[in-house]
Amino acid sequence: MSESTLSRTAGPTPNAGLGDRLTRLLDVALLLLLLVVPWVAPSFWTYILALSLANAIGVLSVSVVIRYAGEVSIGQNFFIAVGAYAVAILQARLGVPFPVGVAFGTLLGCVMGLAFAWPSRKLSGVYLSVATLALGLCVPELLLHWTDITGGFEGINVKPNLVAGVPGGIQQFYVALGGFAIVVIALARFRHSRYGIALLTARHHAKAAEAFGMPLASVRLLVFALSAGIAGFGGSILAFASSTVSPNSFTFWSSVYLLVGSVVCLYSTKPSAAFFGGLFITLLPQLLSDYGELVEIIYGFTLFVVIYLFNIVLPHLQAAIRRKQARNGHG
Amino acid sequence: MLSLIWQGAITGLLYAIASLGLVMVFKSSHMVNFAHGSMAGFCAFIVYMITSGLEWPWLVGVLAALATAVALAAIAYFAIAPLITKEGTTATIATLGLGLMLQGLILSLFGANIVNLDLPLPSWSMQVLGLRITLYELVVLGVATFIVVFLFLLIDRTRLGIAFRTVSTHAFAAEVCGLSIRRVHLFAWIASAILGVIAAVLIVPTTFLSSTTVTTFMLQAFAATVIGGFDSLPGSIIGGILVGIATNLFAFYVAPEFMNTFLLVFIFTSLTIFPGGILSRRAGGRV
Repeated sequence: MSESTLSRTAGPTPNAGLGDRLTRLLDVALLLLLLVVPWVAPSFWTYILALSLANAIGVLSVSVVIRYAGEVSIGQNFFIAVGAYAVAILQARLGVPFPVGVAFGTLLGCVMGLAFAWPSRKLSGVYLSVATLALGLCVPELLLHWTDITGGFEGINVKPNLVAGVPGGIQQFYVALGGFAIVVIALARFRHSRYGIALLTARHHAKAAEAFGMPLASVRLLVFALSAGIAGFGGSILAFASSTVSPNSFTFWSSVYLLVGSVVCLYSTKPSAAFFGGLFITLLPQLLSDYGELVEIIYGFTLFVVIYLFNIVLPHLQAAIRRKQARNGHG
Repeated sequence: MLSLIWQGAITGLLYAIASLGLVMVFKSSHMVNFAHGSMAGFCAFIVYMITSGLEWPWLVGVLAALATAVALAAIAYFAIAPLITKEGTTATIATLGLGLMLQGLILSLFGANIVNLDLPLPSWSMQVLGLRITLYELVVLGVATFIVVFLFLLIDRTRLGIAFRTVSTHAFAAEVCGLSIRRVHLFAWIASAILGVIAAVLIVPTTFLSSTTVTTFMLQAFAATVIGGFDSLPGSIIGGILVGIATNLFAFYVAPEFMNTFLLVFIFTSLTIFPGGILSRRAGGRV
């Protein structure tokens, strides 16, 4: 959240401390726990967890933009819709197998992200944020226009037919889990790669990064291509996991929900945190399905509380503790 | 064609007023208020509740809406204020949280129905050079002119206005000189909310009022701000009128159902042709 926590958690860490080892343990435990879910949990919960994993990928795509570029995107629903509809249309209209659809959706998302970030690559972040707002709002009207391709309001069904003979629910869950694992591992590798470090340098010392050949415009383009690619991939997985795509699942508000998920997990790209973000935004609407408007109020409130807690309250507490320690040291 | 341009310019004035609000907040506190639309929508619903629900006079409704706007702006500002000094996007994200809460509040208080809200104006019109001008349009023109003149006099002549300009030029220097940054920010936020409400109440008669219309209406205001430049008050007026005319022509000649897509393309085009706003100098606005 603040500069100091960001550099601590996102920066390259050669010597993993105790805290890092603990989170790694938590991540492994979570992964093992998730692996057995379809065999022990009722099918409803398997379904919910599959959706959570797919949404967690979307949350990661938002976190990447905030973390690496320091910008807000509220148009992720566009790239997610691109990935989801790519899979659905290719499967339903052309009979293309799911893995090809995923690859196509991811690539298309990437290209779209690049094209989207291009006009505002040199401008201050506000212009980009506003452009993402427009991008997010235009998704439903585009989907509802080409009805014979997109299926209009009802959308398209996506059959879980990856492996013949395996029940659909189990396929959906493991595809979601696998997709989530791929993104998390790819992001962890990216963070320590040449580009990842260059991006983080640009984030903290823009001038230094520019001197090393990483101008702000390239940062913007690279981050958006990466984020949109992840979003497209997440959308493809979401289409498979939820077995249907329809315009209602890709409104502007779903982008805002992804942002809420990203805030709740403190923009983290760590597996357990991102999974928690995905779970939070998937579970709450299910639990409160009878009180639709409450969900928005709770989300808005949670977003506020988390931001406050980590930007205002915790720094104050830390400062107070430090002061006390200093006083004790003198006394 | 002429009447389309005229009507577009009139709606454009309303976009301009809403856009002025966005620019006021951006100039003073360097952040985008994504709750601008939800705040204005909430206040428009207050007007609806009082005039149609309770059947009280319009003046009461408008005064209540303005009071709500001032209260909301003050609450919003004091909630956001500690975050403004934090890292870049934090405060902007917080306004989205605020917007979500208001959106939920609108839904739970007023429901998801679409309602009509007409101004208490007689349906009177006149012909000028083959152009039909309605009383509504004259009222919008009058209100917009009054607001723009008033706002510019306020910023140009008064002590508060000078403080506002100082803070927007160099916040740190302003603080060193002993100006209260918080007070200037609060002024900008309240002014912004009032501008938003006026624009929302005046735009509603041309469409209808629902929990989502004002949010989409704000996209037009955002587009106006992009073309005008986020740090230029006169730019947002030009931007508003341009957006109004362009969207009206597009809706008539091409397809009204693609409004948001058109605005996206419009934003891209204006970013390419006028990076940093139509009135920006070459050096300004860039990072």
